[in-house]
Amino acid sequence: MTNLAGATMSRPRPAFAQAVAVDPDFDLDLPGVEHPIAPRRIQVVPTRQQRRARPKIAYAAVVVAGVLAIVITQLMLSIGLSDGAYEISSLQSQQKELDRTNQTLSEQYDSLSSPQNLAASAEKLGMVANSTPVYLRLSDGAVLGSPAAATGATGAITAGQSLIPNASLNPVTGTPATAADATAAAAAAAAAAGATTADTASAPPVAEAPADIPWTGALPSPTTR
Amino acid sequence: MNTAANRTTRRRAAVAVVAVMAVVAVFVVRLVSIQIVQADTLNAESFDKLSAETTSYGLRGDIVDEDGTVLATTVLRYDVTASPKSVTDFERTGDDGKSVDVTALQAAGEVAAIIGQTPEQVYGILTADPSSNHVVVVTGIDVDAFRAIRDLEIPWLYYESNPVRTYPNGAVAGSVVGFMGEDPDADPNAADPAEAPGESEVGVSGVEQMQNQCLTGTDGVETYERGADGVAIPGSSETVVQAQQGGTAVLTLDSDLQWFSQQTLLARIQETGAAWGTVVVQEVKTGKLLAVADYPSVDPNDVDATPADQRGSIAFQSPFEPGSTFKALTAASVLDAGLADVGTQVEAPFIYTDANGASTRDSEFHVDPLRLTFAGVMQESSNTGTAMLGELLSSQQRYDYIEKFHMTKPSEVGFPAESGGILAPWQDWDDQTNLTTTFGQGVSNTAIQIASLYQTLGNGGVRLPVQLLEGCKAEDGTMTGAPDATGEQIVPSTVSTDVVNMLETVVSGGYASKELSIPGYRVAAKTGTAQMSDGSGAYGDSYITSVAGLAPAEDPQYVVSVTIAKPVTIESALAAAPVFQKIMSQVLKEKRVLPSTVPSPDLPTTY
Repeated sequence: MTNLAGATMSRPRPAFAQAVAVDPDFDLDLPGVEHPIAPRRIQVVPTRQQRRARPKIAYAAVVVAGVLAIVITQLMLSIGLSDGAYEISSLQSQQKELDRTNQTLSEQYDSLSSPQNLAASAEKLGMVANSTPVYLRLSDGAVLGSPAAATGATGAITAGQSLIPNASLNPVTGTPATAADATAAAAAAAAAAGATTADTASAPPVAEAPADIPWTGALPSPTTR
Repeated sequence: MNTAANRTTRRRAAVAVVAVMAVVAVFVVRLVSIQIVQADTLNAESFDKLSAETTSYGLRGDIVDEDGTVLATTVLRYDVTASPKSVTDFERTGDDGKSVDVTALQAAGEVAAIIGQTPEQVYGILTADPSSNHVVVVTGIDVDAFRAIRDLEIPWLYYESNPVRTYPNGAVAGSVVGFMGEDPDADPNAADPAEAPGESEVGVSGVEQMQNQCLTGTDGVETYERGADGVAIPGSSETVVQAQQGGTAVLTLDSDLQWFSQQTLLARIQETGAAWGTVVVQEVKTGKLLAVADYPSVDPNDVDATPADQRGSIAFQSPFEPGSTFKALTAASVLDAGLADVGTQVEAPFIYTDANGASTRDSEFHVDPLRLTFAGVMQESSNTGTAMLGELLSSQQRYDYIEKFHMTKPSEVGFPAESGGILAPWQDWDDQTNLTTTFGQGVSNTAIQIASLYQTLGNGGVRLPVQLLEGCKAEDGTMTGAPDATGEQIVPSTVSTDVVNMLETVVSGGYASKELSIPGYRVAAKTGTAQMSDGSGAYGDSYITSVAGLAPAEDPQYVVSVTIAKPVTIESALAAAPVFQKIMSQVLKEKRVLPSTVPSPDLPTTY
């Protein structure tokens, strides 16, 4: 009984009741209320089938949860996308920097491996060229050619002076702009500099010339078996 | 419910509906206005605000030698500009989070230290016109300097990058690689003054010019939409024009050998006080040029250091009268015509006068006629002997042979402004020219043509097209434009072998024997000392000395042709001989050519 009463109270009255059931003993049993002989009340209650057919709260919950899930997913997706955009942007600028480094290094490598530089470095190390090569023929062990030691006199290719210029070995200095009245401006600036005691001590150091890299490992030697 | 209440409810509902309708109507009108009526203008406006355009550079391709050593490449250099209007003191936050005030003069000083200027100079540039919005501080600095300046975090400096051509090997093959310059065909009025110098440059010399089409890349454009912080909105980027990187021109040159040739040549030129010279090294079996050395030559990194008329390649562009090295062609012609053989005996007088009355004489005085074989004529380099044997052929026959050896047309290389030599048609030869063309005077050839002549003789009489270019390699590695390598039989191999054997006697017993021989190898070569035209139709008193030869003689692999003009201390082929010997030794060593094992035929030279 109470069950039924609770159910009817908690639910809106159905607008169109098709079946009507009458409960003859229905009474509201409210505490502290004296009731006189109450008039018999007639209440419309749904049938079992109707009750079953009606939406349950679970459905609503599922729908709300679904909508929420979709909204959250979309939000996450959009966060992910824009995160990705920032990552792409930062990786792109990183790549740009790396490309610059790559360019600097390959430029250096190409210039340092130019024959002018190699010959000069080799001769600085005391190396000489031998113009009388000797060949060992593996098929019959014959020695072809007459071996002769290379000497500094005959083996020096450049004799200490590289005659073939290579401006790419010089540091890149850029072309400063020259203002039309640079001298006057410079003079004015010099005056200003004197007044403000220009502090150029924080200037970065001038790039040092690449130092000779000493060979520290063991000399590479063939593995003979 | 009573009726009054009902009426109120209905009125309320009506008001609400009208209000909602009105709002909806306003929205609809606005929607139509924005989405349809103003759509295009608004889109365009927003695009201008949102969209950014980036240029993706299609950089000019590299020029590399046969093993991939980079001879020319494109790098990015940076320009720093400033807006003098906004040059002010600013605050810099250091690594420790503290802010420091930096004055404009201090900032100028910091920049100046990086670009090697005085603070006053830089400050002067910045303050020369304070009302200006744009001033160039420095152009063409490298990445390191750019980074150093950027890290100063000076708010009123701006940076631009520009592609710039560099030549890591400097003057090695400089005259062949060439350089860039203003496009001579460009319309000067169409030039955009805002365009940075260098962007409109094209190859104007050497391979840079020859392969300009292969090397040129196309810049691409990419547009994207960006948010307030400049970050691209995902999915908005659109490539409008795809950047196309320039192709790589692959040369047949060997940069090490090229350098060695230039170094050796120039050292000898300085030693003998000569004016100019060339060295050509060619592979006999392929026709590929391994080295083309010129002096004077240009360092393409610093074109202005070389006078304008000395920036080309002498070997390709400047024909000269070859002199005695040309006698090999006369010998091949006479042998091919079957009018003589290697043992044909000649009594070569000091002075020879032919039937037309034209005369010539040997370089060394001798009273008695020299009793020489054909080989001996080559060994002694007797002008009278060569003229006598050469005149066994008619002028027309000799002209035809010269033509057949491709000595009257430019090589297949197609080098810019390449010369095809100078030779008048045989009908126009005067009596003296008719005689002198037998020994290489009255005819002019380039060093490339001479090398090609010896290549033909060394390759069993098969002339191969001269090659400087392996081809143009596209970004995806495909090679196009590989030159045709079909050979052409000029003379039978028996003839070419005979000529090579005759030339070997020059090295084994000629006057420059000591300077030409290479221990362990059989070498065939011919010396030449040609009188130079003084420019007014007569011969002056300066000489072009030369050596052209092949090694190893039993199976020639390489041609080396050396030319040194106007030597002062030595006026004979002895000026050029040591250069030939050194370079040929280097070639044989570098290419691992085994020493000769077959004995020399030792042709008799006298009788």
